[in-house]
Amino acid sequence: MSRRIGQLKTDLSAAWAIAKKDMRIYYIKPGTLMFGVLFPLFMFLSFAVGKNAPAATLIPGLISITILFSSSSIGPMVIPTERKVKTFERLVSAPISFYSIIMGKTLGGFLFSLAISVIPLFIGLLWFGTQIISFIALIAGLSLAAYCFATLGIMFASFPTENAGDIMMLLNFVRLPLIFISGLYIPIESLPQWGQVAAAFSPLTYANDLVRYALEGTTLYGPAVDAAVLLLFTGVFLFIGMRLDKKFRK
Amino acid sequence: MENAIETVNLTKYFDKFLAVDHINFEVRKGEIFGFLGPNGAGKTTTIRMLTSLTKPSEGTAKIFGYDIQTQTIAAKRHVGIVPEISNIYDDLSAWDNLMFTGELYQVSKSEREKRARELLEMFRLYDRRNEKAKGFSKGMKRRLTISMGLINTPQLLFLDEPTSGLDVQSVLIIKEIVSQLNQKGVTIFLTTHDIEEANVSCDRVAIINKGKIAAIDTPERLKKTIQSVQSVEVAFDKTSPKILSELEKIQSVNEVCKQGDKFKLYTNDPANVLSGLWEYANANDLKPISLSTLGPSLEEVFVKLTEIDVKTKEAS
Repeated sequence: MSRRIGQLKTDLSAAWAIAKKDMRIYYIKPGTLMFGVLFPLFMFLSFAVGKNAPAATLIPGLISITILFSSSSIGPMVIPTERKVKTFERLVSAPISFYSIIMGKTLGGFLFSLAISVIPLFIGLLWFGTQIISFIALIAGLSLAAYCFATLGIMFASFPTENAGDIMMLLNFVRLPLIFISGLYIPIESLPQWGQVAAAFSPLTYANDLVRYALEGTTLYGPAVDAAVLLLFTGVFLFIGMRLDKKFRK
Repeated sequence: MENAIETVNLTKYFDKFLAVDHINFEVRKGEIFGFLGPNGAGKTTTIRMLTSLTKPSEGTAKIFGYDIQTQTIAAKRHVGIVPEISNIYDDLSAWDNLMFTGELYQVSKSEREKRARELLEMFRLYDRRNEKAKGFSKGMKRRLTISMGLINTPQLLFLDEPTSGLDVQSVLIIKEIVSQLNQKGVTIFLTTHDIEEANVSCDRVAIINKGKIAAIDTPERLKKTIQSVQSVEVAFDKTSPKILSELEKIQSVNEVCKQGDKFKLYTNDPANVLSGLWEYANANDLKPISLSTLGPSLEEVFVKLTEIDVKTKEAS
């Protein structure tokens, strides 16, 4: 038991070291920060502009889309690049579990996403009259969504390629459709039957529902269900990521 | 536990291709063990299995008694790895590269700072410790990679082509430090294409060819296995194109090679060749300006062993 606790402490400290290193090398760069803020903003505006909805009602969607892109974009670029320059092997050959590497890589995306998602939140609070109805739901929504989408990115990065473009193509093939079926622009209740079924399989649906509950007090599934499903998706993405790595590293 | 490494039928298939074929060897504690072989022979695959970067298809290996498959993390703790490619973080300084690696190996903050300082001084990088590694020369990057492999004070160091393509200063520093480490009891597993380096520095060498261990012994014992490859090396005061063909006619000479201004005459009987060579020089008014008899080199053993294997396979 004490050996397991010792190994867990080791893994956590290694994960933190990896996350710190990734933040310094990849995340805290002017280009990455601009991408984290501007890409989701323009992506959102390109679909939201011209709609008759009050601006404040668009803020939860903007936060959700910001979290989706900021947490799941850098990890899938970093891992293939590190495979190419063989620095990923440095991590794999260290006396730590593979889980701690995945955790470290996820943690980088998670922290970056949390920091970035505060920007649209402040924009809403300062200029568009957005109010925080439930602070706990907001913290839970931001954290669970950021971690869930960070693991989504890392799951895709587990495919054994050294070309980041391969991963991004696959990832966008999944991420872009999620934007349209997750209630960001069109309320889920207004979607056709097939759309509502598809929305239930999108983690972005639950992230958006939880953030909307925190800021507007309205929810489709309820905050507990949203949180539980986001945790479930996180577990599934982690599991698949680890299995893929195990399979391909043979 | 006398051995740092023990392999038992270690095997690796890539789909149907057999890259490493049931190899068995031991590396004793405290020795410098050379692992030689032509490109594609299975050297890097073997190292990758021993360092848990890839899983064996069959067989297993132990590092200081820890099974690489079932006690992976314990086995890795005793090991330092210097891969063929200098895998440092270009955007971090030399100091930060060492600090990060130390954290991965759970070296305490005070210990890794002390160790980093020692290593950077040892590898003559301390003055440039705060510069990003992207500005370093190839030799400096290599020295930093080796420093990173030593941050956890390993008992066993895997060195994959440590001096390949480096400047003279870096080569000398690396060789000196490897020798010092070994004197302190660190076991070195050295992969190199530089056979002379292996000859000079290794206690024992293994020659791997086409995934199989072709020979394993001390360099001197290996050389004794091919006494037929002795030679006489001579340089004359003048030279002409016909000398090469005429030297081949001397009794007991098996083959003649021209190496710069010297001729190397391969033989089983150096004494007889020396006598024939003397007669030839007198008859043709040539004065030998240098003359030496040479035993087989490790490189010749390497070539012969790998060629034997090729011929055997072709015949079958």
